[in-house]
Amino acid sequence: MAFLRMEFVEEISYPMTFVFALAKSLMPLVLSFFIGQLINDGRVGGDYLTFVAIGLGVTAMLQGALVGFGGMLQVAFQRGTLETYLVEPVPWTVLPLAMNTWALGFGLFNGVALMVLGGILGANYELGQLPGFALLILLGMIATTAIGILSAAVLMLTLKSQPILVFYGLAASLLAGSVFSVSQLPGWLRFFSYLIPHTYVINGSRTLLMADPGSFDLPFSTAAIVLTVFSVIAFPMGLWLFRRALEFARKMGLLSGY
Amino acid sequence: MTSTTEPSIVVENVGKTYYPSPKWMQALVRSQIKEPIVALDSVDFTVDPGEIVAVVGPNGAGKTTAFRILVGLTTPTTGSASIMGYNTTKQSAPVRSLVGWMPGDDRSMLMRLSCAENLRFHGRLQGMRPRAIDRRVDETLELVGLGHAAKKSIFALSAGMRARIQLARAIFHKPEVLILDEPTGAVDPVAAHGLLNLIISIVEESKIAALVSSHRLEEIEALHSRMILLDQGRIRYDGDLQTMRAKLDRPCVEITFREADTAGRAAKILTANGHGPESVTQHGEVLRCILSHGTPHGAVLGELDTLIGDVVSVDEVKRPLRDLLADIYGAEDMPTAEELRRRRREERQRRREQGEGKRSGRLRSRR
Repeated sequence: MAFLRMEFVEEISYPMTFVFALAKSLMPLVLSFFIGQLINDGRVGGDYLTFVAIGLGVTAMLQGALVGFGGMLQVAFQRGTLETYLVEPVPWTVLPLAMNTWALGFGLFNGVALMVLGGILGANYELGQLPGFALLILLGMIATTAIGILSAAVLMLTLKSQPILVFYGLAASLLAGSVFSVSQLPGWLRFFSYLIPHTYVINGSRTLLMADPGSFDLPFSTAAIVLTVFSVIAFPMGLWLFRRALEFARKMGLLSGY
Repeated sequence: MTSTTEPSIVVENVGKTYYPSPKWMQALVRSQIKEPIVALDSVDFTVDPGEIVAVVGPNGAGKTTAFRILVGLTTPTTGSASIMGYNTTKQSAPVRSLVGWMPGDDRSMLMRLSCAENLRFHGRLQGMRPRAIDRRVDETLELVGLGHAAKKSIFALSAGMRARIQLARAIFHKPEVLILDEPTGAVDPVAAHGLLNLIISIVEESKIAALVSSHRLEEIEALHSRMILLDQGRIRYDGDLQTMRAKLDRPCVEITFREADTAGRAAKILTANGHGPESVTQHGEVLRCILSHGTPHGAVLGELDTLIGDVVSVDEVKRPLRDLLADIYGAEDMPTAEELRRRRREERQRRREQGEGKRSGRLRSRR
């Protein structure tokens, strides 16, 4: 809660940036609304706006989990506040979770805003499936947080990891088919789609929320099982690696450098 | 606070060497260190409850590394350090509750948050209860003289106020040990004086152990504390200032003449014979003479012979701490202005001689 409040105060100190960051994230959906009027492809289930509103909304929800901790860690490195966090008696494995709370919350808000905007523009969601959708989002956030923590472990040693996460974020959008169907990808590329949690969250959500999810119909149960297995393995591994990286950086004297 | 008689801080044979990053890591980030750097070498000291120890040393002496080991931000390569009996490497979690740390710059504060919010944030991370935090915020801000600035954000504070809020954060959770890395580094001398007095009163009242580093030597004198002189990672001196003065200080006399010329002639006389002052430096019409132990001032005046009539005044001066430290660190580390002038003169002379040698060589070859 302490980190959440601290980040909230920081964010509201720059209200214009906050508003424009939100507005910027909504723009692709507006763009897709007009593109959708040109598209009549069965692979996206015939309702491109709903298809893309779910894709973009879920991606935004996962983005906070993915880059939140790494971003905050990098800011703390640059500002010189990281050491003051590390000298507090907070277990070092709790830090990745505590420092990620604001980004998780903002990502969730952003994703919901995108899907609500989609609804205003005419997207149709199967609202009865919302509990299942919420479960998929929760599992997806845990899985992508694990990836974020793994990248933060790299950040501890390299002092910069945002390019890795930005690359991963863009690759995830491509491979998980946030604005198009995964079935459009060539077979060799589609292989990589199955390796990232984004694919299961986005396409599992489409299966739940769309009457016709298109040609890449991923059953909810498959998505939930894969995400659970991924989270159970990757989350403790991410925390362990982060702790090891922090200990190594401490021994090498890298914590104060940037 | 505890009333234990055991030392609060124990540093035993601590060494720290910074190594270049391993090869596999250099593929990820280029190392700034090309060769191993010894930051600390077999350092031993203890600090008792209620004691302030000033750590002094030039840049790169190892002060910050020693402090970072004590707060658990880095680990020693050899030896061990402990705070209230807890090893700083293996038991860093309890150590972090027991230490109040003030880093060397104010970037460690959350600039957009107010003074009170910064303290609250720190209190929450220290695991304090909300009610205790509220009470302690007012109490601590009043103690450091920032009661009126509770709602001001850090970036709106002056450098002196920022130093005070950093000190407030360090003492907020009532630590057993205070580690203050150049607490007065960014503040003016008047604010620094106030801050040091505050530190002294906090330590006296709470009976906590404090380690304070500073570049300002007059502040070290003001602390009236034990002093550890670090140089190139080693302890050069550990003791109180008075003992150091008694051991190393030599009487110093300033003789003022009517004219600079006379002072110059007097300097030549005093340096000509081997039994005069240890060193004589001229500043215009003033001669500063450093005498060996036990030499009476009259002995110097006696050497002046006929020039004694041109003496305007004779003053005994206390040598600045800076000069004493320069003696300890050695001339090769801190050359005096006189030494630098002498080196420049010698260099000019050497170049002149080389130039004349080449000219006469060319003339010979033309002939």
